Amino acid sequence: MPTVLALSSSPSRSSRSAAVAEYAVTALRSGGVDANHLRLRELDPSPLLAADTTHPEIESAVRAVAEADGILLATPTYKAAYSGLLKVFLDLLSQFAFAGKAVLPIATGGSPAHVLSLDYGLRPVVHSLGAWHVLQSLFVLDSQLDEALRPGEQLRSTLEGVLGDFTHALQAPSRTATIARSA
Amino acid sequence: MTNPIDGTETPATGFRLVVVSGGTSDPSSTRLLADRIAERTARLAGERAEQVHVSTIDLRDLAAEISSALVSQLLGPKLTRAVATLREADGIIASAPVYKAAPSGLFSSFFHVLDNDLLIGKPVILAATAGTARHALVVDNEMRALFAYLRTLTAPTAVFAASEDWNSGELGARIGRAAFEMLVLLESGFSHKIENESWQRYQHEYGSAGGTELGIDLGTDLMRLATGGSARPTGSS
Ligand SMILES: Cc1cc2nc3c(=O)[nH]c(=O)nc-3n(C[C@H](O)[C@H](O)[C@H](O)COP(=O)(O)O)c2cc1C
Repeated sequence: MPTVLALSSSPSRSSRSAAVAEYAVTALRSGGVDANHLRLRELDPSPLLAADTTHPEIESAVRAVAEADGILLATPTYKAAYSGLLKVFLDLLSQFAFAGKAVLPIATGGSPAHVLSLDYGLRPVVHSLGAWHVLQSLFVLDSQLDEALRPGEQLRSTLEGVLGDFTHALQAPSRTATIARSA
Repeated sequence: MTNPIDGTETPATGFRLVVVSGGTSDPSSTRLLADRIAERTARLAGERAEQVHVSTIDLRDLAAEISSALVSQLLGPKLTRAVATLREADGIIASAPVYKAAPSGLFSSFFHVLDNDLLIGKPVILAATAGTARHALVVDNEMRALFAYLRTLTAPTAVFAASEDWNSGELGARIGRAAFEMLVLLESGFSHKIENESWQRYQHEYGSAGGTELGIDLGTDLMRLATGGSARPTGSS
């Protein structure tokens, strides 16, 4: 069974981006993927900021990244960029921590004017971590979620397509070859 | 006319504002957007008893010369005139259509063939049109980066118009903000001070500004020889 780790990276407790990640994790599971959700705000902040990978919480987060076939990155849009919390976590990973993996970037944001921030800001970082396949990124407008942070009908159908592509990428035959090369 | 800020003289004819439009359709919304910004700047200037003269470089007419300049480094007659217009410009409104989430190739290519030091210190308003608000960041990520390389004084307000923005009051308000920034930058005389007092501090390519880039006189015998000409016969000077 392919595995996916969803990393959500909003500092806020009732987070839209975490809600989208959670929805995606549930949908992936019902599609036969072993998916888990890690909220970065729940990690102990001082070893996180100090990049202390010997700390048990950080160590197990890093291991979860290493063991996943696919990574779903969920971030809020802050000042036309992905969150600082996400960057703090990506910074403590090893240089090619995403080697051989498929990565799906998702952002929530208030303005459609900032859609390209994922492609300008996050995509190059994910490539530099050695990702094998970065899927088309998805920008979710706040207005596409209801008050209980559930995706509206249009977003649900978009997500169905996006998660289908993601699942497909997890199983693509060239993945094993890439992993073998990077091992 | 005396500059209200620092008392320096600006040309008696007023400020020279140049519109560069990369729009290719006819009529072009990219051109229309730039024209609206230019008109608003002229109107604001009029209210302050100042004058702005607008000239336009429509890249549609230069497409063939731009593409041959890209491969041959030779400027055709229209492109040579456009470069002269920009050299004399006090301010520029640069307006591009967004194609495939980037400024159009024609727009980018035009700026690629200009000398790197042609636009140093000149005030620039960036403008772009697109079919979708989703491409708004093209202005800040791509166009601002290009003009940073060209070392222009790019105004903080850029004007982006997606199809749905044309009838909104917000676009008009933004145009007003950008136009006012342009006017204040023109009044400051920034680019002229840079050119007159600090030009040698910038990196230049040989010949890019006809000799002024190096603070040397290309008309001396030595320089005429050095640049492949012949020295004047002795005694003829
Ligand atoms: C400090 C801050 C800055 C923000 N900046 C932007 C922005 O530049 N562009 C945007 O589209 N939304 C912006 N927003 C709105 C959030 O991106 C949006 O509400 C997002 O869905 C919040 O996700 P979260 O609930 O997971 O934190 C900002 C919100 C905050 C708190």
